[in-house]
Amino acid sequence: MKKVWIILIFIILFIFLNKLLAPKYMDYLKEGNMTYEYYQEKTNHDVIFIGDCEVYANISPLTMYEQYGITSYVRGNSQQLIWQSYYLLKETLNYETPAIVVLNVNALRYDKKVSEAYNRLMIDKMKWSQEKIDLIKASMLEEENFLSYVFPILRYHDRFDKLKLEDFKYLFKEKSNTYNGFLVNKKVKPVKNLPTKRKLANYSFSDNVYNYLDKIRKLCAENNIKLVLMKAPSLYPYWYLEYENQVKEYAEKYKLDYYNFIDVSDTIGIDYQKDTYDGGLHLNLNGAIKLSNYFGNILKNKYHLKDYRSDKKVNSIYEEKLKKFKKEVE
Amino acid sequence: MASWIKNLIILLTCVTIYCYLNISGLIFILTSIITTYIISLILKNKKSKILLTIGILINLIILLSFKTIILYKSIVVPLGISYYTLQVIAYLVDIYKNKYEPCLNIINFSLYIFYIPCLFIGPINRYNDIEKELFNSKIKINNLYNGLCRICFGLFKKLVIASRISIIINSIVQNNYTGSYILFSCLLYTLYLYTDFSGGIDIVLGISKMLGITLKENFDRPLFSESIKQFWNRWHIALSSFLKDYVYIPLKGNRCSKIRQKINILITFLVSGLWHGFNYLIWGLGQGILVILNIKTSSKILNVILTYVLVSLLWVFFIYPNNMEAIFKLTSIFTNFNLGSLFSNFLNLGLSISNYLVLIIATITLFIIEKKGPYLKISNNKKLILIGTLILIVLVFGVYGIGFQVEQFVYSKF
Repeated sequence: MKKVWIILIFIILFIFLNKLLAPKYMDYLKEGNMTYEYYQEKTNHDVIFIGDCEVYANISPLTMYEQYGITSYVRGNSQQLIWQSYYLLKETLNYETPAIVVLNVNALRYDKKVSEAYNRLMIDKMKWSQEKIDLIKASMLEEENFLSYVFPILRYHDRFDKLKLEDFKYLFKEKSNTYNGFLVNKKVKPVKNLPTKRKLANYSFSDNVYNYLDKIRKLCAENNIKLVLMKAPSLYPYWYLEYENQVKEYAEKYKLDYYNFIDVSDTIGIDYQKDTYDGGLHLNLNGAIKLSNYFGNILKNKYHLKDYRSDKKVNSIYEEKLKKFKKEVE
Repeated sequence: MASWIKNLIILLTCVTIYCYLNISGLIFILTSIITTYIISLILKNKKSKILLTIGILINLIILLSFKTIILYKSIVVPLGISYYTLQVIAYLVDIYKNKYEPCLNIINFSLYIFYIPCLFIGPINRYNDIEKELFNSKIKINNLYNGLCRICFGLFKKLVIASRISIIINSIVQNNYTGSYILFSCLLYTLYLYTDFSGGIDIVLGISKMLGITLKENFDRPLFSESIKQFWNRWHIALSSFLKDYVYIPLKGNRCSKIRQKINILITFLVSGLWHGFNYLIWGLGQGILVILNIKTSSKILNVILTYVLVSLLWVFFIYPNNMEAIFKLTSIFTNFNLGSLFSNFLNLGLSISNYLVLIIATITLFIIEKKGPYLKISNNKKLILIGTLILIVLVFGVYGIGFQVEQFVYSKF
């Protein structure tokens, strides 16, 4: 019996150390907590946005709710690649079935696994499921190993001398840093010098990318979800005409709606002297509100989404969220 | 379970692991096993020096061929060749000298050579020492605790201490430092090699203990030796005693003139250098000279320090496998010491203050635990607590994972 107690104590200590040493992503690298924040949602959503930083920096679901009564959530991550979007969407469907899934197409140009750091930001705080296992397997770089995702201590043990106050403060509790997946950035950095266009050897999306795009399309079709493609506005000249044509071709072939907001930046009212936090790559809070107003209008009118502002239960939850949101943005 | 079935299962497991790790080496180890087995059976009835010489030469030629080729070409050396070659040589000589009967059971004999835990870093086992342990082993609960303790302790030595020191040494080598840095790296290398090698041996001994096999110790607190001679009696005991029994004594050891005795010591250490590889001959010669000189003072503590420093200086040939570079670096200690540079650069050698602190505390802990002996006489519950604590310490303070290159055990390359 004594042995059982000893083993139990060490298992508890092991779990505690795993928790203590893993990054909390609360005050630093807030992007790392985005995947987890979704699980705290109390209502379903009619629209789910998936994609990279272009969704979580540019789309404000609470603005869409306030203006049009649309319930939506951004399941975005830094450098979310297409296969990661697929598994994250698949995981989302374990919790709810939205009417619309909006996929930001920026990541279609990437075929290679990028970095362990991005994988960690996305996967570390994801709940365990078959989708998480598949996502890890699809995302891991050669130098990574699966076990370190199961036991974070194997990856983060060297943080023993880098522990910060947040590691203790948020050991057993979490806080939300986003508003339905939207990460507020109020900074203003006007556009000055834009990088020059780079000539690429190959502009074609890879077979692997198309394979996962097909998987997302089929998954949506199987679940009666309308798949919509979007390209967030950006002044950086990295969305080449060749990319645009391939997306258009794909959308036409499968009768998908595609919205490229780069072309309608002026109509949206984006002022790149005021509405960007990094000189034209991403929008800041002001820009995101403008884009969300514009896109929300399209979603509301074209897809006839329900206005939840008249739904007492949902509205009370969103009123709470809006109160917090407004407090931060004002 | 009948012992022959158990031995067959262990043997098949060892062979499978061997094939998985180094299938190209299988032909060489099988050659050693088959030739040695046959020759030993003949030697039992017919004491033929020629046959003994043939048996030794077959094994020695294979070993030396690889030691030579590896100097010029990057090749995969058969796993454990340095260790099992010495085992079969010792076995043939012992059979020839009628020290014990040859092993008639081919399964048991193959297991003696193929016993995989010992093929990575030793120890080199004598047949008569291991025979009963290996072939009649029984798994017991106490042995499981003792073995696990030993394995965890080995991992602690390797991952918490040795891997940390290797960061400093690699930084000194990569930045091409000279003078005081070389002295610093040599002094650290003794501790590094000890924790790396004995850590690996702890794991081997621990695994064996869990299987009910008690192997001979390979280290006896060598870092506290009071003379070079004592150091070599306590360091890599299996190799030292092999060299003593099969090189030094056949050369007539110390039963000859003083000059001849000194030459015998030099030859023995040269063979030791050769066993490590051709580029370790100067190192072997240096150690031999130090044993002959046997420098000592009247103070015990001073002798321990002196022995540590002298042994350390010659590890420069391990740090820099190129002999000319090693000699240049060693000379720089005396020509361009520059201690100030080392002090000012102390925190730029790859370790932070907290990591130095971990290293110091872990080293002190190591010496305290080792003083109590390899197998602690405490209750199984206390051992369980020790195992759990060591596992957690290794998990948190071990140097491994992404961003760290855990070096393979140094002695696995010999």
